[in-house]
Amino acid sequence: MNSRARLLTGPLTRRGRAASRYALLGLPLTLAGFVFTVVSLSVGVYASLSLVGLPLLAASTPLVRRLGTVHRNRASRLLAARLPGPPPPFRPEPGLVGWTKSALKDAVGWRARAYLVLKLPVSAAGFLAAASYWVIGPYYLTYPLWWGVFHDFTYQPRPGASPVPVLASPVPFSNLQILSWPATLPIVAAGMAVMLAAPWWLRMANAMDVSLISALLSETPAERVRELERSRASAVEDSAARLRSIERDLHDGTQARLVAVTMRLGMAKDKLRGRGTSGGEPAIDRAFELVDIAQITVHEAMEELRGLVRGIHPPALDAGLDVALTTLAAHSAVPVELVIDLPRRASPAVEAIAYFCAAELLANVAKHSKARRAVMEMVHVPGLLRIQITDDGVGGARFETNGGLSGLRDRIGAVDGTLDVNSPRGGPTVVTVELPTEA
Amino acid sequence: MRIVIAEDSGVIRAALADLLTDRGHEVAAAVADGDALRAAVARHQPDVTVVDVRLPPTFTDEGIRAAVELRRKHPGLGVLVFSQYIETRYATELLGDTPRTGAAGVGYLLKDRVGDVDEFTDALTRVAAGGTALDPEVVTQLLDRRSGGLTELTAREREVLALMAEGRSNSAIAELLVVTERSVEKHVGNIFNKLDLPPSHDDNRRVLAVLRYLEPDRADGNTSGPGAGRRSP
Repeated sequence: MNSRARLLTGPLTRRGRAASRYALLGLPLTLAGFVFTVVSLSVGVYASLSLVGLPLLAASTPLVRRLGTVHRNRASRLLAARLPGPPPPFRPEPGLVGWTKSALKDAVGWRARAYLVLKLPVSAAGFLAAASYWVIGPYYLTYPLWWGVFHDFTYQPRPGASPVPVLASPVPFSNLQILSWPATLPIVAAGMAVMLAAPWWLRMANAMDVSLISALLSETPAERVRELERSRASAVEDSAARLRSIERDLHDGTQARLVAVTMRLGMAKDKLRGRGTSGGEPAIDRAFELVDIAQITVHEAMEELRGLVRGIHPPALDAGLDVALTTLAAHSAVPVELVIDLPRRASPAVEAIAYFCAAELLANVAKHSKARRAVMEMVHVPGLLRIQITDDGVGGARFETNGGLSGLRDRIGAVDGTLDVNSPRGGPTVVTVELPTEA
Repeated sequence: MRIVIAEDSGVIRAALADLLTDRGHEVAAAVADGDALRAAVARHQPDVTVVDVRLPPTFTDEGIRAAVELRRKHPGLGVLVFSQYIETRYATELLGDTPRTGAAGVGYLLKDRVGDVDEFTDALTRVAAGGTALDPEVVTQLLDRRSGGLTELTAREREVLALMAEGRSNSAIAELLVVTERSVEKHVGNIFNKLDLPPSHDDNRRVLAVLRYLEPDRADGNTSGPGAGRRSP
């Protein structure tokens, strides 16, 4: 098939149909976004004289951001577009005034507004192109038939009014009237032209849209740098906190127990020497008791150390992520079904992060969800390790400001991974973690 | 002896109480934080208290601060502070706190030291009787830091200096080094001469004197005896 024929049939392919859907359904969405942006801008500016406008404008920022995300996701899904990374999330300053200021200064919000306005002509063009290919073109190509059947039909809008012909004109509301059958043939020619041009227009319009999204709905290099700095700082802070916690556990747990052991053994030595008893006789029974207590304390210390070591680097992880996860699932309070597809190993750092994520998420399930069972899937495809934990619990899991899920998301973000939570109230909850790996 | 223990770790608290009771002392109370300690001391009027340096809520130096406060409020109460790490700063803070009474009735030991029951109870008795008990490890560290200025001393004199800094009496030093008490007195005299310290027959005052000499952050390097102005640690 030569390239012109391929162009013509392009929209018929699955990709092409998705692109058409994008353009067709995109228009109402675009209109809504456009209207919202223009109205909120006008109201904000106009009412800024009365000090009400600016807060109103600020309040529109989260919404325009959300609309931007919707458009991004649609493009990424339907057009299979390769877009640069998503813009950074909204991080307002504390307090009501701080929030308003941050919302008004939010560069991402303003870029989103620019997109929502500029997209209208692009979207209209795309809509027209898609409509041309799927509706107008075929209609024109078959116009002689329609004319043949309907050109006599008239209808009377009101009794007594003159009858109006139906479908006598290929272009509605125009003065173009086709009065004879041979006159329909130019329309057929027009239809062929439309069919040839439409796919090209559609592709152009969608490409334009993708450029707009890349320019306006994605993170700028400066923003990426700031995000990387943030996640690096939080990774450093995180690891310092972990070290402090290990130090505390060692000091309060293991060290204290060893001190107690040395005291007991010192006392036992005393008893064996007969010190401190009347008559200076060795008190064997008491010595035995003391050594027994010392041994119990040593066992407790070893148990604590085992737990500590597991928290630092579980030995099972050396054997592989699947082995470590099996042990993890076995220890979980909630029964966990494992679905693992790990044809290759990832780097030790990624495996460790994946393990600790899974451990923390399973702990959350056991602690908060009241679930009866859970399913953990872990899949490693080239370049991506995905972990998904589903539970049948009560749902309602959310990112809170200093909460566990936010901390987990930050830690995962430090290695460029993502954490997604789908947890409607009443459940079920699905948490998905994606970690990039070296192919 | 009546004793009050302040230690936040349950295992250590229990072991300590057992150890002291086994030796025939009365453990009037075993508490886990500074406020409870102050209350227990007021209530039971013990002869000596054993206090951990790190107590709730901040686990930094509540123990030291409680010790200093208790010594001020209850003269005659011996306070033995023990710690898992050496902090020479705390030792000097504890000892340098009361220039008039000197180092009376205060001690600073490593928790490890408690494993040797004899040494520990000996230190405790010393402190209860108004003497001093400084952990040998603390003394070693202080001596190491000042090793420059101590080259004039013979090896034996350095040993005697270390034991003096721990708060031992002449007779105790003589026993430990297996020499006569007369030789110890001679060594002590030589030390005080060589280091240019004013002589003192009070064991506690001389601990202070030695420590003041060994303290690394001295303003101008001059010797100074007890009663000189306090420096910030």
